[in-house]
Amino acid sequence: MSDSAETAAVTPPRERRAVFRRAFVDSLPVLMGYTTMGFVAGVLLAAKGGVALSPLWGFLTSSLWVTGTMSIAGVPEIARRAPVCAFALMTLAVNFRYAFYGFSMLKRWQNVPLLQKAYLVLMLTDENYALEASCPVKNPARNLEYCKLLSVLNHSYWVVGVTVGAAVVCLLGKLVDPDVIRRGTDGMEFSMAALFIVILTDQICRKK
Amino acid sequence: MQEEVTYMLGVVLAGFAVNFGLRALPFLLFAGGSRRLPGWVERFGAFVSPVIIAVLVVYSYSGLQWRTPWPYVAGAVTVGLQLLKRNPLASIVAGTAVYMLLLNCCGCATRRTIELNAQNPAVRVTLHGVVFGDRYVDPQEVPDILEDYDVPHDRVIHIQLDPDVRDLRQARMLMGFLSKAGYTRPVLVTKRHAESVNLGKARYSPPRSRAPEKSIRYKKASE
Repeated sequence: MSDSAETAAVTPPRERRAVFRRAFVDSLPVLMGYTTMGFVAGVLLAAKGGVALSPLWGFLTSSLWVTGTMSIAGVPEIARRAPVCAFALMTLAVNFRYAFYGFSMLKRWQNVPLLQKAYLVLMLTDENYALEASCPVKNPARNLEYCKLLSVLNHSYWVVGVTVGAAVVCLLGKLVDPDVIRRGTDGMEFSMAALFIVILTDQICRKK
Repeated sequence: MQEEVTYMLGVVLAGFAVNFGLRALPFLLFAGGSRRLPGWVERFGAFVSPVIIAVLVVYSYSGLQWRTPWPYVAGAVTVGLQLLKRNPLASIVAGTAVYMLLLNCCGCATRRTIELNAQNPAVRVTLHGVVFGDRYVDPQEVPDILEDYDVPHDRVIHIQLDPDVRDLRQARMLMGFLSKAGYTRPVLVTKRHAESVNLGKARYSPPRSRAPEKSIRYKKASE
């Protein structure tokens, strides 16, 4: 708490507003991506996950995991009630790439207080990392401000996307026949394959 | 219900621990923050990540209708768009839309007819769930799928029970759903029984041990 007040004192209001505007504008493409993918993940969880209270689980998973890959890839595992340790192993394999994002942030976040650092680390998603790594704001205090703002914004987009998606299907399920929903969402599981294909394409192209 | 909540809580916590652990790993390894990452770690990561993701592509295809051409068409669309436009969201949404369209519009053209006989039962109960043809399905879905194939209600429907399934609850549930939907003659068969029919042994070998060996026939209440 005291630290944020300190940063506020260091950074003049006008510049703060500039940083905020920068972070918000940068987050707009992510807004499109996260709300759409989150919505799909939420719909899948509610339609195919076979769990009651799917909006609650959608909210918890989206806010605590913050990973699109597992939110989508995990649905079939949840549906067939895979053992928790198998689920953890799968998460480890699927999200192995996350372990490499932190390296380039080590120095930058060296002196950030523990709780804020933990939050920034939690939000090291593909998109967030890409934006933070290429952030044009060089001043350390303002850069930190930028990273925090960006993280909060992107986090909220993702959580809203997933929760709304699950809630919509839950409500629809009360109004229309669940079979119609199940058939209407048939084929949506391709989004997981598509997500991996896109990541793979990017990784292969970046190497060359 | 309570089991489900406990399970989901476990999943949520496990996912959180692993995700957060992975992201925090560099910070834990280099707590000082000054050391540089050894070159081999970087090379290892650059090599391993695409390999893992490639495995995941294959894995995710196993959950799709991979015997039809549709997932490959949609995959090609995804790769092409990504190479052209470099917009992950557009590529994912377009690929998924193409797949959904192909599956729901042309899917019926490639839908195989199913043979419902004791030799190769279309429905299987395994330890991990109910399999219809080549994919896992929700037991509740089975009557609808049969409906899709226009299976008459009075057909004998063989349900193969895998040998390692000891707990008959799921099979009973499935039988319940079937009879509720009007299918009057679902029959549980074991793998051995199915194979013996397959070999042309007309004689029915009597069950040697436990309950799963017995075939249960559900009758309609009015029968």
